[in-house]
Amino acid sequence: MIQFFQIYKTYPGNITALINISFKVEQGEFVFITGPSGAGKTTLLKLIIRAERPDQGEILVNKRNIARLKNSQIPSLRREVGFVFQDFKLLNNKTVYENIALVLRAMGHKKREIPKRVRQVLRVVGLEEWVMKQPPLKLSGGEQQRVAIARALTNTPPIILADEPTGNLDPDLTVDIMDLLEKVNTLGTTVVVATHDTNLVAKYQKRTIPLYKGNVVG
Amino acid sequence: MGAGYLIRRTFGVMKENGATHVLSIATIAIAFFLFASFLLLPLNFTSFIEAWEKKVQIILYLKDGVGEKKVLQLTQELQREEGIREARYISQQKAMESFQRDLAGYGGLLKGLKQETFPASFEITLQERFRTPHRIRSLAARLDKIQEVEEVQYGGVWLERFSLFLYTLRWGAWILGGILIVIIVSVTANTVRLTLYNKRGEIEILKLVGATDAFVKLPFYLEGGLQGLFGAGGSILLLFILFHFFSLKVSPYVNLYFGQLHLYFLPPNLIAWILGIGVIAGLLGGLLSLRKPARI
Repeated sequence: MIQFFQIYKTYPGNITALINISFKVEQGEFVFITGPSGAGKTTLLKLIIRAERPDQGEILVNKRNIARLKNSQIPSLRREVGFVFQDFKLLNNKTVYENIALVLRAMGHKKREIPKRVRQVLRVVGLEEWVMKQPPLKLSGGEQQRVAIARALTNTPPIILADEPTGNLDPDLTVDIMDLLEKVNTLGTTVVVATHDTNLVAKYQKRTIPLYKGNVVG
Repeated sequence: MGAGYLIRRTFGVMKENGATHVLSIATIAIAFFLFASFLLLPLNFTSFIEAWEKKVQIILYLKDGVGEKKVLQLTQELQREEGIREARYISQQKAMESFQRDLAGYGGLLKGLKQETFPASFEITLQERFRTPHRIRSLAARLDKIQEVEEVQYGGVWLERFSLFLYTLRWGAWILGGILIVIIVSVTANTVRLTLYNKRGEIEILKLVGATDAFVKLPFYLEGGLQGLFGAGGSILLLFILFHFFSLKVSPYVNLYFGQLHLYFLPPNLIAWILGIGVIAGLLGGLLSLRKPARI
């Protein structure tokens, strides 16, 4: 569950990102955050994982008030929230297996558990075992985004945030990735997708939180 | 995070920027080599001084005409003097005999020499704890004030200067050491910073997926420490090779001119200190470069 209470955020140089934002996303819900570039979508997602702090207001994520979270508590928050990026953010000097294994190691998984877990999450996102030994750049854009989603799912987080996850993909692959996120959602994971793609929002018929110049509109 | 995994990750990070790390370790090694050399030189010169100190004696040359009674009195006075182990009187006659014995091969030249030519003297050997340049000098100055004494010789003026040189060298080593530590910290900090820059993508991902600060930062601290350790270790190895070469090839010639010279390499405790300083300076470099953690 994610809940924003009257959130304000301004960046240095008096650049207003969010103004008086309040909303609630229930456990297991699929929500689109929509709006043009500069509307405040990415800032909103960053606030959820405490990559940014609000100037004012309170944010509850899985019953934690993250605006008041201590720095030492941030890692445990982030282990409950998977993040998918537009540019995938995969390490191109490592194989697909190493990309996912590194995250599992960082989360404290034991060495012997890792190969099994990597295979599991790759199966969930529809990738075959041969991709494990490949560097990300040898895969197609859609496959890379699947690897990124697999990485976000490694710790079976209750929430997945995706920031323009289809922004770099062609229409066919966009559908594949959105179907995958929908599948993840049906397994009980809360999914929040930030996108400027109005066609996508129209196609999937989910609840939307429309942003414009830092305000919730409509 | 297990120690084995931490070490593997650290070496992985270092391998990725291999050339930068090799250069950085080489720079640290050169800095430590200078420091270790400055420590090694006084160590060996000190053993040379200690050998001299064992042989040191003071010779008091007496004025002409000092009578037997006065000699006896002087002998007693000298033996009461603090720091003197033995005061042996060498009469003019004995001095001449000794001279003739030493130059026996030049018989012709020695003809006609009279014993009055040779001054009577006292050969003074010192107690062990008085065999330091400073104490010898102060004792010699006291003895020079005796009315019957013409001249005091202790052959150690140059040694005093040499001792001062060693003192300067020793202090120089520590001052140089201080400067070198600043250099090492700065070199390590810059290399770790470069690694941080190259790994910023990985750090960002690790932080976003919930890696702890320790998981993210420890390899970089360790990287700094290892650079310091390898640099210091490399410098000791280089110094040892040069020392070995000097002992084998050069020291026989040195011995020929200066007598038996015992060469010593750095003792194990000093080597441990140098390695320890290397590790601490490296860790400090790592610490400095991570002072402002990535804000993610």
